[in-house]
Amino acid sequence: MIYTQNSPALLTIGLSMLGIWYTSDTGLLNPVFEYLSRSTSYPYMDELKTLPFYFGLIAAITGCWHWLGTHRQGHFDYYSSTIAGGMMILFITMLIRWFIAPYVEFIGTDLGKIGNTGKYIHELLGLNYVVLGIVTGIIVVNVFKIPEWAKNGIRLSRLGLKTGVILLGALYSAAELKNLGGLSIIMIGFFVLGSVGIVLWIGSRRNIPNSMGGVLSAGMGVCGVSATVAVAPVVQAKPVEIAYTIGTILLWGVGCMFIFPIIGHLLGMSYVQFGAWAGTGILNSAQVAGAALAFQPDGIETLMVAEIFNITRVLILPVIVLWLAVWYVKKEGTATTEVNIGRVVVTKFPVFVLGFILMFALSTTGIFAPSNHYKGKYFGNTPEQGFKQENLLNNAQTGLLNAEIHRIDRTSHRTALERLIENGKIMSIDDDNAVRSIINAKTLSAEAIAILKAAHEAVRHSSKKIAAFRDWITWLFAFGLVGLGMQITVSSMKQAGGEPAIIGGIVGFFKATLSLVVVVLFIGETV
Amino acid sequence: MGSGLYKRILLASHGTKGAIAAEDKTLQICSNSGTIDHLIVVPEFWQDITGDDWLNNGVTRDQFRDYLQTELGREVDQQCTRLNQKVTAYAFGYRSIILFGKPDKALIQCAETNAYDLVVLGSPRPQHLSGLTGLHSTMLTNKTWHKLQTDLLIVPYPQ
Repeated sequence: MIYTQNSPALLTIGLSMLGIWYTSDTGLLNPVFEYLSRSTSYPYMDELKTLPFYFGLIAAITGCWHWLGTHRQGHFDYYSSTIAGGMMILFITMLIRWFIAPYVEFIGTDLGKIGNTGKYIHELLGLNYVVLGIVTGIIVVNVFKIPEWAKNGIRLSRLGLKTGVILLGALYSAAELKNLGGLSIIMIGFFVLGSVGIVLWIGSRRNIPNSMGGVLSAGMGVCGVSATVAVAPVVQAKPVEIAYTIGTILLWGVGCMFIFPIIGHLLGMSYVQFGAWAGTGILNSAQVAGAALAFQPDGIETLMVAEIFNITRVLILPVIVLWLAVWYVKKEGTATTEVNIGRVVVTKFPVFVLGFILMFALSTTGIFAPSNHYKGKYFGNTPEQGFKQENLLNNAQTGLLNAEIHRIDRTSHRTALERLIENGKIMSIDDDNAVRSIINAKTLSAEAIAILKAAHEAVRHSSKKIAAFRDWITWLFAFGLVGLGMQITVSSMKQAGGEPAIIGGIVGFFKATLSLVVVVLFIGETV
Repeated sequence: MGSGLYKRILLASHGTKGAIAAEDKTLQICSNSGTIDHLIVVPEFWQDITGDDWLNNGVTRDQFRDYLQTELGREVDQQCTRLNQKVTAYAFGYRSIILFGKPDKALIQCAETNAYDLVVLGSPRPQHLSGLTGLHSTMLTNKTWHKLQTDLLIVPYPQ
C-alpha cells in the first residue's frame, strides 16, 4: 500500500503558514493583533515570527514533493506520509492559539465577570487554546472526517505527547520529583486499587461476565482507554464489552475535561491540588493533560503535577494487567491460559517513561541548567554562572545599606546583609533567601529595598534551555491533544451503555468526588 | 417449509434478540426454493476504537488490534454458521455477505447491487432495556428510508 497521496493539501498548508508569517512579520496583521489584545502587547509575536516560517517552509517543500512526486511502497513512504497529517494538526493548533483562542478571550472579556466568581466566562470554562483545540479535533473527525492524505499522520499526536512528557523530565527538581512521586504513589495506589477492587465487587454482585469485569475495572481504575486496550486481550473481553467500556470512558473523560477546571477555579485550587485531583479523578489519561492545561493555560506547573500522576498510572498498569490476568484465570478456571509475567511486564512497559527518567537524570547533572535550579531559575554569583560584574553594589549603595542595617533584628538576616555589604553581591542561596525575607518585611527604606531587589535579581538567572523546553512542551502537548481530539469519534462514545455505563458512572463519580475531598483536605499549595 | 411470496430476501442479522426475530419472520415468508442473503456489517467505528489511547506502546496496540480482529472475525463466523444451519434446515438457499463500514450505507449498497424482493431488519433494542445485546449502531436511519428502493420489512422487537 502507498500511503503518500498526490494531493496539493500539504503544499496549501505550507503556503498558508508562510502567509501568516509574512503578514505578521511585515506588520500587515498588526491591526488584527491590536484588536485581539485590546491595544496591549500581543503575547505571541515571537512565535509568529519563527514557527510559521520554519514549519511553513518544510510543509511547502514536502508538499510539492507529495503532490507532484512519484511514491513507492515502503518504509520511507509510510513515514514520510505522516508529515501531511502532522502539519494539518500543527496548522489547526497555530490558528487556535494565535487567533481563535484570543478572540474567544476577547468575547469573554466583553461579557464581563461572572457573578461573584471574579472570573470571565472563558476563564471559568477553561476555554483556552488547548480545550478549543481538542474540541476542534473532535469536530473535524466527526463532522468533516479526516481527509485521506492526513489519516496516516494523525498518529503523530501520540509521539507529540510522549515527547512532551520526556521533555518534562528536565523541569523537575529532585525534591519535587521525590515529593510528587511519593504523593502520586499513595493517591494512585489507593484510588486505582480501590476502583479496580470496587468494580470487580460490583460486577460480581450484578453477575456480569468475568471478561467484562476485568476490562471495566482496568478502564475505570487505571488510565481509561489505554488500560482497556492493554487488558482486553488478557481477560478475553468480547468486542461488545470493549465497545461499551471504551464508549463509557470516552464520554466520562470528555465531560470531566470540561467540568474539572470549572470546579477547580470555583474552589480556588492551587496548581498542585488541581494537578493531583485531575491526575487521580479523571478516568482517561489523555483528558488529564487536557484538563491540566485548561486549568492553567499560561504555564505548565499544573501539567507537571498531573503528568507525574499519569506516569505513576502507566507504571502501575503492568501490575494491574498481571493482577487481572491471574484473577481471570482463577475465576474462569482455565488451565490452558498461563500468565507469562515476564512477557506482560516487558510488552506493557511504557518505554517513554525511560526517556523522562533520562531527561531528569541529565537535568541533575547541570547540562540544561545548574543542578540547583528550581523551575528553570537558579542561583549564581560568579561570571561563569552568569553574574555580571557591573551589578556589583557600589559604595553609595553599600553605604545606604550599612546605615540601615541596625533596623534588622534577626541575626541571620543581619549577617547575610553584612556579607552583601562586604562583597557587593549576595554570596549564597541562604543569603539570597534572607535578602528576600528582608525585602518582604519592608523594614528598610524604599531605596534600600530597591538595592536589595537589584542584588537579588543579579544572582537569579533563568536557564534559556529550560525556557525553551517549557515552550516546546506547551506546543507538543497542544499538538498532541488536538491530534487526540481527532481520534475521539461520536460513534465510539455512542457505544456507552449497558452495565459498563452503570458501574462506570458509580465508580467514576465516587472516584472524582473522593479524590477531590482528599486533595482539598490533605494537599497544600506546594509539595 | 416456505410458503411465502419472496424469493430473494436480504436479511441483516448479527444475532441480537431483535435480529433473531427478523430471522424467524424471514423463514416464514420466504417462498419455496428461495434464497436468503445474510448481511453482516462490521461497523466502521471499530477502526477508531483505540480512541485517544496514547500511553501504550506499539506492541500493546498491535496485540489489541489483532485480538479484536480475531474476535470480530470469530463472531461473524459463528453468526454465519448458526444462520446457515437454521436456513438450510428449511431448505432455503443461504449466502453470507460481510461488509465493513456504516451499517445503513452498507445495507443500501448491498440492496442496490443485488436484485432483492425484500429486505428484512429487526427492530432496535428498546431504550429501557439494558444489558449487552448489541452495539449502538443501527441500519434504520433517515438515509435508509430515503434511499432504499426495495420493499422493507421491520420485524417488531420480541416481547
